[in-house]
Amino acid sequence: MLDLLPRLRRFAAGLAGNPADGDDLCQMSLERALANRSRWQEGTRLDSWMYRIMRNIWIDEGRAGSRRRQTFVDEEAGARQGGDGAQEAAVELSYVDRAMQKLPPDQREAVLLVMVEGYAYKEAAEIVGCPVGTLNSRLVRGRDALMAMLGETQ
Amino acid sequence: MTVTRAELAAFADGELTGERAARVAAAVAADPALAGEIEAHRALRARLADHYAPVAAAPVPDRLAALLTQPREAEVVDFAEAKERRETRRTIPRWGWIVGPALAASLALVLLLPGSGDDGAGYADPQLAAVLDSRLVAEQVPGADPRVLLSFRAQGGEFCRVFSGEGGGGIACRDGDGWRLEALGEGSAGASTDYRMAGASDADLLARAQEMAQGPALDAEAEAEAKANGWR
Repeated sequence: MLDLLPRLRRFAAGLAGNPADGDDLCQMSLERALANRSRWQEGTRLDSWMYRIMRNIWIDEGRAGSRRRQTFVDEEAGARQGGDGAQEAAVELSYVDRAMQKLPPDQREAVLLVMVEGYAYKEAAEIVGCPVGTLNSRLVRGRDALMAMLGETQ
Repeated sequence: MTVTRAELAAFADGELTGERAARVAAAVAADPALAGEIEAHRALRARLADHYAPVAAAPVPDRLAALLTQPREAEVVDFAEAKERRETRRTIPRWGWIVGPALAASLALVLLLPGSGDDGAGYADPQLAAVLDSRLVAEQVPGADPRVLLSFRAQGGEFCRVFSGEGGGGIACRDGDGWRLEALGEGSAGASTDYRMAGASDADLLARAQEMAQGPALDAEAEAEAKANGWR
């Protein structure tokens, strides 16, 4: 589980819209996973199980929080770049973050699971709990919207 | 021959196989516009991956790691919860309670029992002793080498410290003659960059520290006080 934490934080930051809300989501997910530990079945993938718990919590509770900080720009990440790249890095962060925030939740999670976390469509569909075809169409709509929003900011 | 947008995206994601993949590949080869679409999909994927990569590369905050390394003393509400709690606890390393948040996930020690009758080798050299005398867990920089992992009070009342570095690691306890080495390890290789978990051999060393201790690891305040008193 410790090995999974960095990836879980990444997914949480993507869902929640910023790393701070992401860590709150991550903490809630870990607590729920530990409390329900006995329901995880040996032989099934721990990562899929954890991602499913996280997206369920986010769907249930997280959206209000992510809207609250919509304008948040990751100062830490910007500062880490240092020197000349700092300005551009901060701008880049906010472009992608803002574009992701505009996606409906079902498209955002599909984009994150496949394009950031690297899951196959079938695996992503199992995490979300929908048919593969449904996931596929959400993904296509999500990435088309992203390309339209980000197309001129390359 | 038509290729749908969904097929194109799936092709870019490597999701198509066999005949369908071949059909889309042929269409893409024949049409620069489609090839451009594929390129755009891949560029978007790379951009998103780059955007979120720093979160995964950053150190995990202690409050999250601690959830997994510390036994929880949750209230027992009903039988099912008690059962879950028991099962949860079983998965937590037996040295979890002494380490707590002090586990910086960057140690790789192999326990060697101290050589018997090997006089002279049983104490920390001046350089290590200086580190053990002065360095506080709470204040050391992330790349410190050696790194002091935690301090505790042994059952006999002595202060002991677990340390780890590229030159070696172990447990040292302060007595009248200096820092007596209770256990030695191989230290942590590559702890500076990669995220590392404690391996099975660390468990032995940390379990050893726990056996020796008469309570949990010192917190920052207690450690500073021990230092002020010369660790005696």
